[in-house]
Amino acid sequence: MTKFRRTLFGSVLIAGALAMTGAATAQDYPNRPIELIVTFGPGGGADVMGRQIAQILEADLGVSIPVTNVGGASGNAGLTRLRTSPADGYTMGTLISLTVASWASGIGDNTLDDFRVIGIVQSTPSFLFVASDSPFETAEQLLEHARANPGELTVATSGYGTQDDVALITMADQGVDMVNVPFSAPGERYAAPLGGHTDVIYEEPGDVGQFLESGEYRSLMIFAAERHPEFPDVPTAGELGLDMVYLNTFRTLAVPAATPDDVFARLEAAVIAATETDQWQAFCAQTYTCLEPLTGDAAQEEVNTFYHAIAAQLDD
Amino acid sequence: MSTFELLGMGFQNAFALSALLTIVIGLMLGVIAGALPGVSFVNAMAMALPFTYSMAPTQAMLFLGAIYVGGVFGGSISAIIINVPGTPASLPACWDGYPMTQRGEVRRALAVAILASAIGGLTSALVLSFAAAPFAVFALRFSQPEFFAATVLGLISVIAISKDRPIVSLLSLFLGILIGTVGVDPQYGVARFTFGAPAMQSGINFVVVMIGLFAISEVIDLIATNRDLRPSKAASARGQVSLRDFWEVRGAIARGSGIGSILGVIPGAGATPGAVIAYGIEKQVSRDGDKFGTGIMAGLAAPEAAKNATTGSAMVPLLTLGIPGSAATAIMLAAMMLHGVNPGPLLFLNDPTMVYTIFAAMILANILMIFAGIGVAQFFSTLMKTPPAVLGAFIILLSIVGAYGVRNNIFDVYVCLFFGLVGWVMKRTGFPTAPLVLGVILGPLAERYFMTSLANYNQDWTVFFTRPISGTILSLAAVFAIWSLWPVIRAQYRSVVLLLAGRAGS
Repeated sequence: MTKFRRTLFGSVLIAGALAMTGAATAQDYPNRPIELIVTFGPGGGADVMGRQIAQILEADLGVSIPVTNVGGASGNAGLTRLRTSPADGYTMGTLISLTVASWASGIGDNTLDDFRVIGIVQSTPSFLFVASDSPFETAEQLLEHARANPGELTVATSGYGTQDDVALITMADQGVDMVNVPFSAPGERYAAPLGGHTDVIYEEPGDVGQFLESGEYRSLMIFAAERHPEFPDVPTAGELGLDMVYLNTFRTLAVPAATPDDVFARLEAAVIAATETDQWQAFCAQTYTCLEPLTGDAAQEEVNTFYHAIAAQLDD
Repeated sequence: MSTFELLGMGFQNAFALSALLTIVIGLMLGVIAGALPGVSFVNAMAMALPFTYSMAPTQAMLFLGAIYVGGVFGGSISAIIINVPGTPASLPACWDGYPMTQRGEVRRALAVAILASAIGGLTSALVLSFAAAPFAVFALRFSQPEFFAATVLGLISVIAISKDRPIVSLLSLFLGILIGTVGVDPQYGVARFTFGAPAMQSGINFVVVMIGLFAISEVIDLIATNRDLRPSKAASARGQVSLRDFWEVRGAIARGSGIGSILGVIPGAGATPGAVIAYGIEKQVSRDGDKFGTGIMAGLAAPEAAKNATTGSAMVPLLTLGIPGSAATAIMLAAMMLHGVNPGPLLFLNDPTMVYTIFAAMILANILMIFAGIGVAQFFSTLMKTPPAVLGAFIILLSIVGAYGVRNNIFDVYVCLFFGLVGWVMKRTGFPTAPLVLGVILGPLAERYFMTSLANYNQDWTVFFTRPISGTILSLAAVFAIWSLWPVIRAQYRSVVLLLAGRAGS
């Protein structure tokens, strides 16, 4: 009897709690802190982005947004936590291109269907850079040398099975055969061309801004359909006669897939507003990642396209 | 302006009341976080990051820098007092520091540790201030084969550390390396030894393993044996601190400071390998090498000096190149980015005031650390007077919070508790636990450097021997290995000779 009563009491309590959260969601979201799960450790690009936007969103949403770092398994540990959190808009997470690429390699138990992408807040094409003392002054010289000496030049990248890898494979298919040297620690990757350990580095400009400003890196080519406004002298891969699928490095904010529409709309509006603030504009200028914000279904579609491009390459 | 003038200006800024206060508060926080088993200073820095948003960029760097300096030392306080290292780099402090405590010489051990750490840190801060540019060039010369060689030297040092049974230590080390392979491999992104469990893909974190093996197992042992941590006798006469002690360990401190300053500059290497290698080398160099592990001051001073000597030099690649070499410097980089400051060569030109204020603050922080260290150590000494039941509950609570806090992952708590049991069994059976932890820390590093080296040099394995720096370090490691294993080799040789002689005789 007591046991039955206890169970009954418990059920009523849970039902009551559920009803209350349900009511709160519909009426005055948000009314308590929103957790932002950064899916990588402190100090990385995703972390800096997350902390920057959390600070701006706090002002708009009127609640505090504590950042929690849950790193591991290429960002999947944090996403699993996000996926299994209540879909009430009180938990968001970072979802970045590296993690989406990892799904194509079979890492993690998350899929794109588990999440709703609020918006792509940072997106940047990648470049090929060389150190300032490199013999290659132009992209033509580099490509010519690579065509004449297949497998001789080395390129520092973030790993196998990433968009870096896909770009190099696509180039190799067109006769520009360079060796992929994966450096999973970003610091070691940036230092590789400077120390003369690799000939080239495949990288987004935002992460190596200090070397571009100081002139220690020379930009040879950009993997994008058009030239970059900040780098008007750098030719695109297409101009150099290469046929590429352009895969930008991107960072998004996402919530669990079952998040209600009205809550999602509130977050989407807040993210759009955040990217228009002066603080964000200064930040994205510093990291060369300014873009027209892509939110909602369009963002989801973009991430989906990226996933299939990587998966198709890995199937070959 | 000359370096001295710039540094003078830096000191002026660092001695401003707000800056000085920032440094002192940061130091205290760092030492306490470091000393609490389970709570690492990297954690403390990550938690402090939001508080730096409202500070000026320079002040933010002083705050984080002070936590870093204090935290790297703090771990040794708990290592010496209760045999539980507060941070991985304080592992060697258990080996000779805790035996001193058991003899009633806790004050002496703490004094040696604080002084050695301060001198190591100071040396390193001076290197940072006066030789940042040449050291940065030196750091760039190191490529993946050299990192691999340095990691191998660290792994080999483990055999040197083992008191009498190198083979058992090797077994423990290999077990650690095996545990380190669990999770998504860094090269191909393939999941290994995860047994289909998604949580395992994040890998087994070394801090979590260390908390389990040392903190949790110590408490299980307390419960099982009902022993008392409180020293049976008050501090003995030998426990008094005397200036002669410091003079005795001057060589150990100098060697430790040198090793730490050099290793700290290499991205990827850090306080833990620095301390372990310094201990291994000191054991070979010191007159009392064979008595290491029984509470020899030199065995405590060398790794203490080395681990704090990595703090200043780890900031060389961060400030000169914008390359963070460790978790702690990565957080500092994040703080700079959030303030719109790009570290790198241009920082020296654009904002020398900031750079030299950081240099001056690092020098100052290491001197002030002596006082912060003594203060916190005094407080922690009272732990020894706490009843074991209270202390045990306190350690378990901190360990679980700490294990969770490493990556905010509940799976890590289970891993920690599991390794607590494993650690207790190992302790009871006399199977050494330190090599296992070092295997978990250094194994994945060695693998990553090895694989990247091969990818970079056309899959040619001879690069490790033909590149001068890497070849030199590897030969040093080989000498080290033979030296440490010599007693075993000789014993084996003798028994074989005896066996043959016996056969010949019959």
